[in-house]
Amino acid sequence: MSSRRHKRKQSSEVNLGFQIAPMIDVVFVIMLYFMVMAGAVQVENAHNTKLPGTVQVENSDTPMPDEIAIRIEDDGQVYLNDDPLDTPEIKTLPELANNLNQLRESSEASKSEVLVTIYANEQAKYERVVDVLDALSRAKIANVTFQAGAPE
Amino acid sequence: MAGGGGGGESGEPEFQIAPMIDVLLVLLIFFMSITSAEVLKVDKNIKLPVSPSAKKRDPEVSKHEMAVNVRWDEKAGKGFVNVDDREFPDLNELVPYFQEKRKKDPKIRAVIRGDKALPAIEIQRVMNTVGEGGIADISFAASNK
Repeated sequence: MSSRRHKRKQSSEVNLGFQIAPMIDVVFVIMLYFMVMAGAVQVENAHNTKLPGTVQVENSDTPMPDEIAIRIEDDGQVYLNDDPLDTPEIKTLPELANNLNQLRESSEASKSEVLVTIYANEQAKYERVVDVLDALSRAKIANVTFQAGAPE
Repeated sequence: MAGGGGGGESGEPEFQIAPMIDVLLVLLIFFMSITSAEVLKVDKNIKLPVSPSAKKRDPEVSKHEMAVNVRWDEKAGKGFVNVDDREFPDLNELVPYFQEKRKKDPKIRAVIRGDKALPAIEIQRVMNTVGEGGIADISFAASNK
């Protein structure tokens, strides 16, 4: 093996310098890898909220907020103040988002705030809760609290 | 391209390798920087729910974030909570852990990374525990697609 290498060195004689072509090959492959990964990447976003009972009330003169209850059943059916909206199959909940948007606009007109309480049934899927949160953020409602179990 | 540098007197335009490497390296660094930041956070055991309207995380806020991973085990019919690579089978153990975390960083925010198949009751339990630990700011993690 060593004698062979020796021979080779003699035959080529020079050019032991830095090889640019294989380096470009490698850089290209690494770049392609990152380009492909960049397209498939899943960005993790978040719905920010505060736990109930910790929101500071600025002053006692503010009118009581309009309370809206959203109930989520085990099968995924969503009720807004006891009215069923959308079907469990619809993920985007357009009816709910529209209704919430109207409610927010009307309470903005009367200068009161909207407070939404989500009552999720024990076996309701978390995915559905996030769907409702998504509809709420589309309707630009930030005041959201949670309640365990169904409303009385 | 024809009037590019190089070539010299022969009139043949020569391919310049050095600027090409410069460009390639810049592209490489660009793609490296946009992927690495996101890939690290994804925990493959948890399938996050999809929510296109969820807000992007503010880099200022994300310094104070603590991930609370809630994995759903279909066979056991139970959720498993994992915080800072530590499994907590008993949620009561988490309360002092959260309290201590809050002492160290009063601005701490708990990011609940729940599996989409989780029943809501499991999330409620975790939220209760976070509240008992004195942490008021919470976020629900969701994937963009």
